[in-house]
Amino acid sequence: MTTQSPPPSRASAQLSNTKTTVEFRVALAAMAIVALLPLGVGNAYWLGVLIVSMYFAILAGGWNLLAGYAGQFSLAPATFAMIGAYTTGLLNHYYGVPPLLGIVAAIVVSGLVGLLLGRAVLRLAGPYLALTTLSFAEIMRLVAANSIDITRGDLGLGVAGLLDSRVGWYYLFLGALTVLLVLFYLLLRSKAGLFLQAIRDDEVAARRAGVDVVFWKTAAFALSAAASGFAGALYAHFAELVTPELGLIAQTGLILSMVVIGGMGTLAGPIIAAFLVYVLSEWLRDVGGYQLVVFAALVVIFARFFREGLWGLAMAAVRRWRQA
Amino acid sequence: MTLLSVRGVTKRYGGLVAVNNVSFDVAAGELVGLIGPNGSGKTTLLNILSGLADPDAGEILLDGKPCQGLTPEKLAHRGMMRMFQLTRVFRRMNVIDNLLVAGRALGLKPGEALDRARSLISELRLDAVAALDAGQLSGGQMKLLEFGVCFMVPPRIALLDEPFAAVHPTMKEIMGGFIRSRHENGQTFLLVSHDMPVVVELCPRAICMNAGAVVIDAPTRAVLADARVIEAYLGGQAA
Repeated sequence: MTTQSPPPSRASAQLSNTKTTVEFRVALAAMAIVALLPLGVGNAYWLGVLIVSMYFAILAGGWNLLAGYAGQFSLAPATFAMIGAYTTGLLNHYYGVPPLLGIVAAIVVSGLVGLLLGRAVLRLAGPYLALTTLSFAEIMRLVAANSIDITRGDLGLGVAGLLDSRVGWYYLFLGALTVLLVLFYLLLRSKAGLFLQAIRDDEVAARRAGVDVVFWKTAAFALSAAASGFAGALYAHFAELVTPELGLIAQTGLILSMVVIGGMGTLAGPIIAAFLVYVLSEWLRDVGGYQLVVFAALVVIFARFFREGLWGLAMAAVRRWRQA
Repeated sequence: MTLLSVRGVTKRYGGLVAVNNVSFDVAAGELVGLIGPNGSGKTTLLNILSGLADPDAGEILLDGKPCQGLTPEKLAHRGMMRMFQLTRVFRRMNVIDNLLVAGRALGLKPGEALDRARSLISELRLDAVAALDAGQLSGGQMKLLEFGVCFMVPPRIALLDEPFAAVHPTMKEIMGGFIRSRHENGQTFLLVSHDMPVVVELCPRAICMNAGAVVIDAPTRAVLADARVIEAYLGGQAA
């Protein structure tokens, strides 16, 4: 007589959702700590550094959705931030459109451009996808830089501010990051999260299982681009200036290093790593242009030895501690 | 009643005719074996049936409606479900999520999909590994999981490509039992296999292909005794 193991309980059956929930809670706890930082950080410079960290955290979260969860290795996240920034910037500069309306327009426009790019690269994967999106990113940046009559090129486009207080900006960025975190969490807990990860793991198997791969890949591109566009639009009104530098490949490199170091395909890792990497990059500013060299080296080390990033290392440490 | 009708299907790759004017019908509830030596066109035919390749000529009807040229996802929604020779699972997702992907994509509600996944996990004896990522499973367990994915929503027809290849006898027994019990309940199968004892045991009818064409379509024992089939497998001297 054979003994059959009992069927899995609902608790174990929801294991992956539990994992996402743990990541979400840790990310929320990190946001709570970030919310308290202005109490101790009075320096306007460092408040600014933390605000830009949150800008990058939104970009890292958006790119992680596309690359970490859906497996679409696009090299254009900074470009979509630039598109969002120019959308609200141009609307404000030429037509006097209020910032809040401009930010909504930026989300829509960058999302639509992301959708079109997603459709265009639908059949590409791996290095071909990366190279095509990199070309798109450079073309868009050069168009912005050379359309001097419209964008004022490298001189930059002056844009109206939204808030006078730096602390106000701090909490606006924190609110935006938290809202996106909640939206990503809800998305990943839904069937969309299952489908995106299935496409990442094996596109043919996903299609065989009945997943509409065209729809979900395009949706991932559009959502990721819309998140980046949102971040870019917020940044434009924070800096009161939009330049093509927002779309530099070096900016994408920074986003990529945040996600890889934090842990691709984890909800909390890239967002927390955005703070660590950006604050570290500010500390390293004194050593000139070597920040990117340091982060590139870290990316290589993490990609080679710690695929799950800092989040994976932290989880492994927790498991060891529990077993001890 | 005919469920699947393949009519004059042809597929060429340059000068090679991989599938040459193949025609056959599969009735609802039948379990048909598709055999033939390596390179005879069985997997190419399954690729065409499951939407992974377009035929150059011919027509495929599922439930009387044409379905050639449809995408794999549309075919899955119409009930054509394919299991691959080289196992395809979502390696970084756990066993339950692998099953939930198919369940949710094919329209099951969350609770219903979870209940179906639990029941299949129990039936396929994957209980002990249910919470592991699919990439951590053994080759046989991955095959069982792929079975489960195909049956989260019972398909109109299951296309199984070499499910028994390189699998531990215990796993083979579980798969055989799974196919047998589903067939007894009216499930339709097209089973590609080189494992002749299993084909004889499971399939009342078999189709043999060679060089892209159907050699014979008859009761399985008659197919295996046919001189053309023996020649196809062993070469001209055996005939």
